[in-house]
Amino acid sequence: MSGTRISATLVVNDDRTIACMACGHALGPAGEPWKKSARLDEGPMQGAGGAPYSNAERVLLRRFFCPGCGALLDTESALAGDPFLTDIVRV
Amino acid sequence: MDAITFSIIRHRLFRVIDEAVITLKHVSGSAITNEGHDLMVSLYRADGSLLMGGVGFLHHLTSAAEACKAVIRRFEGDIGEGDVFLTNCPYTAALHTSDIYLVAPIHHDGRLVAWSACFVHVYDIGAMVPGGFSPDSRDIFTEGFSSPGIKLVEGGTMRRDVMDTLLNMVRAPEMVALDLSSMIAANNVARERMGALIDKYGAEPVDEACAALVDQSETLFRKRLRELPDGRWEARQYFDIEDETCRVLLAMTKEGDELTFDFTGSSPQSHYGINCTYWASWGGFFAPLFPLLCYDITWNDGVLRPIKMIAPEGSVVNCTRPAPVSLATVGAIQSVNNAACTCIAKMLSASEKYAKEATAVWHGSHFAIFMFGLNQRRQEAIGILTETFGGAGGARTWADGIDVGGEIPNPIGRMANVETTEATFPVRYLFRRARPDTGGPGRWRGGNSIEFALVQHDSPEGGINYVVSGKGTEFSMSEGLGGGYAGAPCAYRWVHNNEAGEAGRNVNPFPTELDEMTGEAETISWGVFPLKGEDALYVRSDGGGGFGDPLEREPARVQADIESGMVSEGVAASVYGVVMANGAVDEDATRARREALRATRLATPMAAE
Repeated sequence: MSGTRISATLVVNDDRTIACMACGHALGPAGEPWKKSARLDEGPMQGAGGAPYSNAERVLLRRFFCPGCGALLDTESALAGDPFLTDIVRV
Repeated sequence: MDAITFSIIRHRLFRVIDEAVITLKHVSGSAITNEGHDLMVSLYRADGSLLMGGVGFLHHLTSAAEACKAVIRRFEGDIGEGDVFLTNCPYTAALHTSDIYLVAPIHHDGRLVAWSACFVHVYDIGAMVPGGFSPDSRDIFTEGFSSPGIKLVEGGTMRRDVMDTLLNMVRAPEMVALDLSSMIAANNVARERMGALIDKYGAEPVDEACAALVDQSETLFRKRLRELPDGRWEARQYFDIEDETCRVLLAMTKEGDELTFDFTGSSPQSHYGINCTYWASWGGFFAPLFPLLCYDITWNDGVLRPIKMIAPEGSVVNCTRPAPVSLATVGAIQSVNNAACTCIAKMLSASEKYAKEATAVWHGSHFAIFMFGLNQRRQEAIGILTETFGGAGGARTWADGIDVGGEIPNPIGRMANVETTEATFPVRYLFRRARPDTGGPGRWRGGNSIEFALVQHDSPEGGINYVVSGKGTEFSMSEGLGGGYAGAPCAYRWVHNNEAGEAGRNVNPFPTELDEMTGEAETISWGVFPLKGEDALYVRSDGGGGFGDPLEREPARVQADIESGMVSEGVAASVYGVVMANGAVDEDATRARREALRATRLATPMAAE
């Protein structure tokens, strides 16, 4: 995948769009938050893994997926109602 | 100065610290120092600025600089050759009262040329609870002895009145005296070795080399920052204490060759002692910054120059006196560590050149359990269970996190053998092992954490007490990176075997799992508890964060994890999408399973909805 890397899973293409590193699906303009352009699964962290996660009832695991290929682009822990974490890379 | 002489002096400074650390360990008698390596020795310039950061807990490197500067201000005109000063006031420089700084001026031909400084977590500091971690304290006044600066040694002679006053306020004074002696010895060795260095090369050349070393670090660090992309990265940490849920919010901005750490929006200071002071937060983000961004740069004041910090006054990351801070090192400071690790790792991930240096969070909770009471020899025993230093590695962009693999803020931290702990406290381990399924899933899996269980054994009082400061039981504090999941949270259980026995049930004396224990397992997380009779304490620490998409993990690695007992078949199927059949990966079923999971992902709503 060409473009300038801005995270472990995203690049910025020559046309100044953020794109999935795996499939090239566009996720919005460079320098802007991209997460709202992704698919989101938000559920209790206790469902994230095996038995050791059973304590994590209140906290949510947010998983942001590429709408093009389903690649997992980012995760974050959050309490309900807390805003998405925003990362902006200037390239 | 020629490059060879500069390089020799630089390496001699490293060796000065090495010898001082060895001396400190030889004199100290406590497990937290010798086994856990909860220590630090560093060198400072004549103005108190950091010259050469040593090993141990890295958030102390900058805080001890503030200790030196505070002593310089307080004792101006009264700093003599052979003096040693003590400060442990968190509102002056220290992280919490238990971490005592002893700072010593280094003179040459009657002129102050440098400082050495060290710390250990002393055996006791006279807080409400033995060992210093004081969950019931609601202000600094109940967290033990606290001094903004006092001269402990004058001209090479111990001030007995000062020493005796301090020892009169602590439990197990003979052990605290040994702690202080170990630090005095370390400072003495640093002073002697620095004297030998200056005798050989001359005061002015050494000072010139020290100035150049600091400038070199600044130059190299700014160059590295310029190589990294500009941007702004956010991280968020939660921790749960009794009825409170605290947030540490960090926005790290990098512009050109400067970095700003902004904690605006973090929670107001807590009623509990998990707060930290301004200088503790300042040191807190340097703990991951030094090893992640400056692994090949000397850790000194030059690294500090391009950095700014915004920490709102009255918040959990910059509390105001007299807010309690006795658990700061496992509370807000740890969250500052973790949030900074995440932001720095995201910045590294945005660079082709440096992505390989990125890591998910290691051992985010830094759980701590202190024990206290009479041991089997009727001696007063106080100390930490060093399993916390066992940690759990965060996944890197190219490798799994290391199971029970330590932690970033203390690169030399380690845990004691079971036998060492059993010889120190009247306890018996039922089991201790890496816990499967605790490492955060990912293309590269987070390191699994540790689980263990204890019962009292041969106690003259029928048991011992322990202090749990258990944030991280509800929230995963080891965040993942690049799609990796956070590590599993901690768990603490008080297993009520005594009640089970009283009810007529036969208590299993040799359980090898929590589920095999007879009594009811009560979830606990904060406070002081008894370990008496046949009751047991079960502890599971948090796993390291994962890196990347779990569906991208090579099935053969998942199979290896199953075979080594580090991942269960259930998690392999549900999270990694790897289906096993007859002890091997069923490739067709795995392909189908992963396709089905991806299809599920594509059916989720858009985040904007």
